[in-house]
Amino acid sequence: MTLPSHKPFFLWRHLNKLRWLTLSVVFAMLVLLPYLHVYQTYVAAHAYDLLAPSEQQVYDVMEALTEPFVGDPAEDLDAIKGNTWSGTFWGVQLSDPLAALGQSAAGMTLYWPFWLTALIPIALSAVFGRFFCGWVCPATFIYELNSNFASWLRWAGLKVGNRHFDKRLKYVVLALGLILSAVTGSVLVAAIYPPAIVGREIYYVIGIGGFGAGTMFFVGTLLFDLLIARRGFCRYLCPGGALYSLLGRYRLVRIRRIVETCNDCAKCNAVCEFGLDPLRDGFGQECNNCTACMAVCPTDALTFILRPADVPAQGPGHLGRRYRGEHTEIDGTAAEQEEAA
Amino acid sequence: MERRNFLQALAASAAAAVVPGAALAARNQPSLRYLRPPGALDEPDFLARCINCGQCGEACPNRCIKYFSLENGWDSIDTPYITPREKACILCMKCGDICPTGAIQPVARNAKSIVDGVKMGHAEVDESLCLSYQGKSCGVCYRACPLPDAAIKVGYMEQPEVLDKCVGCGLCERSCIQMPHAIRVIPSHA
Repeated sequence: MTLPSHKPFFLWRHLNKLRWLTLSVVFAMLVLLPYLHVYQTYVAAHAYDLLAPSEQQVYDVMEALTEPFVGDPAEDLDAIKGNTWSGTFWGVQLSDPLAALGQSAAGMTLYWPFWLTALIPIALSAVFGRFFCGWVCPATFIYELNSNFASWLRWAGLKVGNRHFDKRLKYVVLALGLILSAVTGSVLVAAIYPPAIVGREIYYVIGIGGFGAGTMFFVGTLLFDLLIARRGFCRYLCPGGALYSLLGRYRLVRIRRIVETCNDCAKCNAVCEFGLDPLRDGFGQECNNCTACMAVCPTDALTFILRPADVPAQGPGHLGRRYRGEHTEIDGTAAEQEEAA
Repeated sequence: MERRNFLQALAASAAAAVVPGAALAARNQPSLRYLRPPGALDEPDFLARCINCGQCGEACPNRCIKYFSLENGWDSIDTPYITPREKACILCMKCGDICPTGAIQPVARNAKSIVDGVKMGHAEVDESLCLSYQGKSCGVCYRACPLPDAAIKVGYMEQPEVLDKCVGCGLCERSCIQMPHAIRVIPSHA
């Protein structure tokens, strides 16, 4: 088939900003919800005068934030509960597909009402691939900040981890997690899945007042990312990422390189958090459509296509070929060799 | 379910061969007396259903639902529980309504449904500690009970007697003025 070679829609390169906004909103929500819950309990107890000064502060701030939207905080604020692992939004329950799969493994039964809550995420993943990892996951928010921190350290001359492992390792982790859940009869994949951990632990800290065991695990993954492999947990180990990758294998919305305008600068490869190879059209099932490569591309050579499979490798960028020809005029060998090949 | 029991036995024998058993022995410490939220399934089914999302705790207007770390073993990690002496369940039934997995079953908020559908445990009176049995008329547990005369009745000198319809919410244990408490809920999963 012939592919269109026009310029990408001008807003695509700004999607990365929207993505950061989405990640921030999700994370802010996870922080706000426990405070709302605490505020609700104060309201339900009619106990303002019995609260400690710091608790009264929480009460006042939350009351100011919610007053325009709710009549009765004790009831109306029940509209949104939970986190990205499983949540309730105005009566609609949404759950991570891994939660449904882990539960089926733990109970060795299919409990349909719960699978129904995972239906919308599964359908969205079939269209947009691993989008959860880049656009929603509250752990991604922290992991990407961690990556930025690592690049500061690198800039300061310190050594940070840049090792590579086999990306298929995470499918093994997914299988092991499900087997472990089946053996123990308890949904243990939830204990090694960072977004579930982050959502829970934020609630534990604010709502109950103390970290759970998951925090240790999450800090471990942060150190792994920082000291051993850049974004290593998501790339090589995350069981949910593995499941989303499988769901997104034949996704419809993909990123494509426009070979006519690509100048082979490789910035896309450098910026890709998941260690993919946009420069050589290597997106695959693990691309999460985060659009960081689109945002960084200096020649606007990346765009979206609707196709259930990647474009096969298109060879070096045409602009890059001419560019190298112009800049190697003195001997001209590089360009000539490439033309011959 | 048989398949799971088989797998569990397989894993237990494998673990016994490899691990010294410290992690597995953490289960069922007598000192760790906890209740599951109202409407929870039997313990093995509950553990298989619960995905540890934390919505029950977030819905609880009384903030009595807490979450295990590793103190009750690996398979209880991040599952909800209630320590009635610290804060007891007020039987508002919001946790069952919000639970996405049915690990906590929805129960209507009326006395009949609660008596039929909730089995967190059963209260027991220690007569050697109870003030009313020691000649000081008290009756606090009776007044704290959300199902008075159905779950608990008082007789001579307000001496309490727990009846069959006790659902184990723990409000009596929470309110007992004796220290250590003379009435306590024995969890139904124990």
